[in-house]
Amino acid sequence: MSEKLTRTQQKNLERLGGVNPADQPFTRRQFVHQVGAYAAVAGGAVGAGLLIRDRWGMEGVAPPPPVQLKDYKVALPTSKPSMVVVRSAPLTENFATKEDETRAREDQALRMVRSAMEEMGGEKGVRHFITRGDVVVIKPNVAFDKNPDLGATTSPDTVSAVVKLCLTAGARKVIVCDNPINNPESCFFKTKVGDAALRAGAELMMPQDSYFEQLHVGGETITNTWRMFYRPFREATKVIGISPVKDHNLCKATVTLKNWYGLLGNPRNQFHQNIHGIISDFALMMKPTLVIADGRRLLMRNGPTGGSLNDVKKSDTIVVGTDSVSVDSWCVTRLLQKQRHEIIYLDKVIARKLGQDWRPQWTREITV
Amino acid sequence: MVKIRRAYEVLFLGLFLFFLMITDLRYLKGWPVSLFLEATPLVALATALTTHTLYRNLVWGLVVIAITMMLGRVWCNWMCPFGILHHFFGWIGNRRNTKQMIEVNRYRKIYAIKYYILAAMLAMSSLWMIPTAIDAPGQIVKAYHDHPTVAGIRPGEAIVGLFLIAGIAWGAVRLIELAAPFLKLPAIGRSRKPATAALGVVLFAGFLWAGPVRVFDAIGTGFAKAAEEHKTGGSTLQIGLLDPIALTVRSMTTSVLPSVQNATEIVYTEPREYWQAWIVGLIFFGFLIANWFIPRFFCRAICPLGALLGIFSRFALWRIDRDPVRCTDCDLCLKSCEGASDPHTDLRKSECFVCLNCIEDCPHDALQFRFLPRKASEVALPAVGRRQMLLAGAFGLLFFPMARLSGGVRKNFNRAVIRPPGSVAEDEFLRRCIKCDQCIRVCPTNVLQPALFEGGVEGLWTPIMISKMGWCELNCTLCSQVCPTGAIREISIAEKLGVGPFESKGPIKTGTAFYNQGRCLPWAMDTDCVVCEEVCPVSPKAIFTRNIEIIDRYGSKLELKRPYIDPERCIGCGICEHECPVKDDPAVYVTAIGETRDKSRSLLLSLVEDDAQDLVSV
Repeated sequence: MSEKLTRTQQKNLERLGGVNPADQPFTRRQFVHQVGAYAAVAGGAVGAGLLIRDRWGMEGVAPPPPVQLKDYKVALPTSKPSMVVVRSAPLTENFATKEDETRAREDQALRMVRSAMEEMGGEKGVRHFITRGDVVVIKPNVAFDKNPDLGATTSPDTVSAVVKLCLTAGARKVIVCDNPINNPESCFFKTKVGDAALRAGAELMMPQDSYFEQLHVGGETITNTWRMFYRPFREATKVIGISPVKDHNLCKATVTLKNWYGLLGNPRNQFHQNIHGIISDFALMMKPTLVIADGRRLLMRNGPTGGSLNDVKKSDTIVVGTDSVSVDSWCVTRLLQKQRHEIIYLDKVIARKLGQDWRPQWTREITV
Repeated sequence: MVKIRRAYEVLFLGLFLFFLMITDLRYLKGWPVSLFLEATPLVALATALTTHTLYRNLVWGLVVIAITMMLGRVWCNWMCPFGILHHFFGWIGNRRNTKQMIEVNRYRKIYAIKYYILAAMLAMSSLWMIPTAIDAPGQIVKAYHDHPTVAGIRPGEAIVGLFLIAGIAWGAVRLIELAAPFLKLPAIGRSRKPATAALGVVLFAGFLWAGPVRVFDAIGTGFAKAAEEHKTGGSTLQIGLLDPIALTVRSMTTSVLPSVQNATEIVYTEPREYWQAWIVGLIFFGFLIANWFIPRFFCRAICPLGALLGIFSRFALWRIDRDPVRCTDCDLCLKSCEGASDPHTDLRKSECFVCLNCIEDCPHDALQFRFLPRKASEVALPAVGRRQMLLAGAFGLLFFPMARLSGGVRKNFNRAVIRPPGSVAEDEFLRRCIKCDQCIRVCPTNVLQPALFEGGVEGLWTPIMISKMGWCELNCTLCSQVCPTGAIREISIAEKLGVGPFESKGPIKTGTAFYNQGRCLPWAMDTDCVVCEEVCPVSPKAIFTRNIEIIDRYGSKLELKRPYIDPERCIGCGICEHECPVKDDPAVYVTAIGETRDKSRSLLLSLVEDDAQDLVSV
């Protein structure tokens, strides 16, 4: 304050007690605080920025690594059949109540599948395939919201029977899942599969957007990856596919191999541009523990949706096997009464050595 | 000092206009024409929130942040071209006397609006944080078990974890402190902050037990994994609507330059038209004219970048300081105060543009730009209401799902949203595009246009191709070179055409052409044409013809070539649509289906598998 002050300024100075605070140099403490805070925050901001810098602009759009499905196969005991055809006496037509009919049908399926698994698994029976602590994923075909009597979807009683078999054998958890064409809730509800699975003690998993992941297939039609309903398989140790046996407008037959289509995400309708290629890819994509073709109801025509009881034929047959190809081959000729070579995808799979055609020497036919 | 500032203003506005003019095929060469767009820290911060990366040159934003934290908002009055334009327009429009000028430059409460705008826009970029926070604990546990040895630990992740744990601990301590009076927690030791020490001890013991580095690593990795997983579909980038640089580039590109061209013919070789650009222009001039009523209205009240810099300037080491003895309270310093930062009393640090006019105007030399003046004579933080802030953030969080779930992006995506080649998948695109329209500026054919609501409300003014306006030039990737944020990632000609190393991936397709046979001359009117086949630029041509013989209405024989599309070859460039003689509603037209940037929008199975798509699909 060397220069001359005006009267107002002198008053200001007096008011401030004769010391001008603005003339005070900054203290060491203030310097350390402010410069330190600057260095820390500016350094932090710049450091964080450099840490996440995408130098070439490609990191931000790189997709997550694709997932892959495990091999869920279980080796069979020596000299056991890899495929069992189980027939049963027809159930009576006259049930007192609907519950009685369901119970009888479930019981029939239980007996049929269990004896087939005993036939294949040797003395351990079901426990050869399902061991204590297993998480079993069951993939039924509930593509459409139709009554199970119409044969377009897997029978609910077969699903509940298999769920019970797995739980009895010691499975920790059974997950029933499908990504249907129609609305998932109404499909699981109207095919009665959802209810049957829950009552049998399984967990029902419906597709949600976040449940899909890019799955590496590396096949003929899916040459690289595709969006797949992968969440149930995160913890799965065993996989069982249960499919109806039915006619299909484009690929001629839907049995156990085509059943895996229901795990793909959109835009899967493009696969109709190469339907046989994609179905043959399923043999590469999925190596299930077991496949079960539920031939007790057959949709003989108007597939895959059906819609009339006139299209449905009863046959009281269930085919259980470890190789989808031989099961499908047997079913299309013996049950759907189609020419074997009408089913192009089967020829394709066999040519690609991803499965083997049905042979009588590794098949057993039993009746319960 | 003020003269130096003016020189800088001229320099930076000039540089901006220079870059704007040379964003053109003829002059572009290697000039860093997107420099201003890359230098706004708002773009850096917001895209870091939405994409979790900092795209290439956006690091310039870090430089501006560092400068701001040292000197205050110098950006606003020295570098920002929009700020400089406002300064200029305010000066032109000023007819006030000294008294009125002092009054109009006092701080007003409405100047806090910009902070609410910033909060809302950043919240829109941050919705992914909610599912991330829910998912993180599980991921952390998993990461902890996945890396039992120190060998697998990534230092970067561990540092992030360290910061996160420090942040969480600090937050927890603050919470306990706040809750202490209500919970009647006992004070521990000499600390007045009850239970803080106990928490510290527990946390410290926990770390020692679990292995500190491993914990930090697990936390960093777990959060990173959870954030990565929930990034998709969890945010939208809207800062470009009001970011001053994006706004200026957009307005210049779509409305000012075409108007200049109309009068002078010096900008382009061919006149340009931009779809409904008058709206952009009206907003631009509206903000400029607003300076006549409230000086620097946009900068003071609206600008979200100013708000961000205002927050950072709390750390500024230099600021305007008033000498309370020399000051005679004449308020003349307010006369030309640009920021309305109250230099006549305790300075509002967050509002000051460092224009230094007040120093010049002070008759008593009571104001100085000083290093580390007294903390007591400043208002360090912006004056914002906590309730309003909360409301703005909540609006942002709600707006994003409302906008995204209004259709137009996923299920009901518009066939007219044909993005330029190199664009990333739509969800990612909306997380990156700042609507600066720099791509539109550089596009040599006028095909790139600012969208209105074709891409949903989020996609306002984002680039789409309207083939009636132009076509995508085959050997051109300029838009991908100037994009500051990677919404259009940089591609080479080879990648665009699918040649050389990109042979196996095939060309980048932006859409697919279709025929409207009811309007096509050879199909509907017995007239030869096939201009579309002639101009189809790919080899072999995506448009091919079949010869047919017909009997015309007078009974004579006629041979015609009828055009067809080979969807495997078509890249969606739109030149067929542009050249179609049926001008008003072309008989061949491009729609977005079949674009390679997004697997879910593919059309042909034979094209969808290749790994080209995997780069950009989510």
